[in-house]
Amino acid sequence: MSPQDDPIIVTEKLEKTYRDNGVEVPAVRGINLTVHAGEFSAIVGPSGSGKTTLLNVISGLDSPTSGEVWLRGRPLSQMNGRQLSDFRRDHIGFVFQAYNLIPVLTVRENVEYIMMLQGIGKGERRRRVRKMLEQVGLPGMEGRVPPKLSGGQQQRVAIARAMVSRPALILADEPTANLDSETGAGLIDMMRELNRQSGMTFLFSTHDRMVMDKAARVITLKDGRVAEDRQKT
Amino acid sequence: MLLLKIAFRNIFRQKRRTVLTGLSMFGGFVMAAVFIGWADGSYNHIIDDFTRHNFGHIQIHEKDYLDRPSLYKTIDDYPRIRSRLEGIGEIDSFAPRVYSAGLASVGEKSAGVRIIGIDPARERSTTAFQKKVAQGEFFPAAPAHRALLGKDLAGMLHAKVGDDIVVVSQGADGSIANDQYPILGLVDSGDPLSDRTSLYLHVRDAQELLVLGGRIHEIAVNIGHLKKVGPTAGVIRREIGHPGLAVDPWQVFARGFYLAMKADMEGMWISLVIIVLIVAIGVLNTVLMSVLERTREYGVLKAVGTKPGQIVQLILTEVNIMAFFSVLLGFGVALALNSILASHGIRLGVEFSYGGMTFDTFKSEINARSFIIPAVTIFVSASLVGLIPALKAARTDAARAMRTH
Repeated sequence: MSPQDDPIIVTEKLEKTYRDNGVEVPAVRGINLTVHAGEFSAIVGPSGSGKTTLLNVISGLDSPTSGEVWLRGRPLSQMNGRQLSDFRRDHIGFVFQAYNLIPVLTVRENVEYIMMLQGIGKGERRRRVRKMLEQVGLPGMEGRVPPKLSGGQQQRVAIARAMVSRPALILADEPTANLDSETGAGLIDMMRELNRQSGMTFLFSTHDRMVMDKAARVITLKDGRVAEDRQKT
Repeated sequence: MLLLKIAFRNIFRQKRRTVLTGLSMFGGFVMAAVFIGWADGSYNHIIDDFTRHNFGHIQIHEKDYLDRPSLYKTIDDYPRIRSRLEGIGEIDSFAPRVYSAGLASVGEKSAGVRIIGIDPARERSTTAFQKKVAQGEFFPAAPAHRALLGKDLAGMLHAKVGDDIVVVSQGADGSIANDQYPILGLVDSGDPLSDRTSLYLHVRDAQELLVLGGRIHEIAVNIGHLKKVGPTAGVIRREIGHPGLAVDPWQVFARGFYLAMKADMEGMWISLVIIVLIVAIGVLNTVLMSVLERTREYGVLKAVGTKPGQIVQLILTEVNIMAFFSVLLGFGVALALNSILASHGIRLGVEFSYGGMTFDTFKSEINARSFIIPAVTIFVSASLVGLIPALKAARTDAARAMRTH
């Protein structure tokens, strides 16, 4: 199979097996998946179905046991650690279940961190942070530190951090799992809106029914395999 | 810049732990700075006193004299050299000397002696030799055809002040040199070998006995500060402009003393090793704990594109910020302590003798190295020890790290 320019993610016979006390535990079993640019897709499935593992392998945070991942046409197996690190920085935004903001940095500093790694100038960073915080509904919160924010606010900061460097792909692992349903719904609506405005690809894992309903495509995993891949019309 | 901010703010996340680490660095720095300052002060005090009152800081000889001393290896144009030396500002004082060997007899007793010719006026201002005269008197300024004896030599010869001593030696013209001198006084130099063998004459009496004319064997030079020995020796060399003469610092002509002092000073490095251990244990414990606590954060930093090298840099920056403030505070405290010790010193309780010199108080010296060596030691040891947890954090598997709580 040859990856096309249009698909942003292509996985081929992707396998990931963990070894736990000498016992092999397969987490992902032979997944073939294609995600096109601009999609707003959810990976769903019960706990232990391989959602997080699949996202980790797709992002290059974890390496597959076998198979291949192409991101924007580039096979991850051909990249060394440094190249992967640069690739993630420039092409992928992450949103984590536990927000994972840097607690000693302010909201503004958290959001501009990746741009700093990219070498973007201070003026441009500040301009983008201001705009992004307005988009996620946190204007005027630049000086706050994460421990002083609610869970929903922290996750909005995490989304701002993921999007501000304008990556092609946002990977979100259970982004609403730590939020109440109302906040979670608001957050997904916001992500959907940002997806429409920016054209960025969103791929997120969830087992939240409400989140699944808002996704344009739902990929269901069961025991590490794709059990169903449903595109909504 | 953000990495620096993270490093700086991380320091204040666990204040108690930061204070403990800072204290170990601070304590290590102060201990080392005070110890080195005091050791330098003590050793330089011993060296300066010993050389100043025995050999001089610098000596001038005929080129080969120190390796193979001989009656015939002389400084022939002393008057010219004396006028040159008098024009060198760095020189405090200098004294010419004549040396030879001979046989001395008092009554029926005789012993081999080292004949030493000294200029009383110059020796008085250069080595304070007159203070070593334990019995009788020191030479008058003009030659008086008198002799001073080491006290143990006097004992061997059963001689006392006022007795006559007969000296037999070889003249520089090949003749047998012999003369008789009344004993003017006895010398207690504190050096048993010297007191057993030395017979002192006025330099002109010695020159007459040994048929040396105006020639001498040695010029002992004292300068203002021990540390300027090297440059001043260079100035003297240039000024006297005599390729046949050697101008040597005390490390060359008092080599045994120099090596003994050097070996003694090596002990100072043991204290530095102890300091390194104190700092290393403190830093290793703190940084390891902090890396373990922040495993998840390092995972996130890696996930979003922070390079392993930047994570190492982050942790080493944290360690070095702590080291910087500890050293800064330590500098102030150590400087104050060294200043007090430099003016008041530490009394030993009992007197300590070295080469005839007696010391009961040692004072510190305020110099750059007593601060630079501990500072470099703290920064290097903290960085090296910090490197272990830093590398551990840099190698963190991001996916696994983010699963930790």
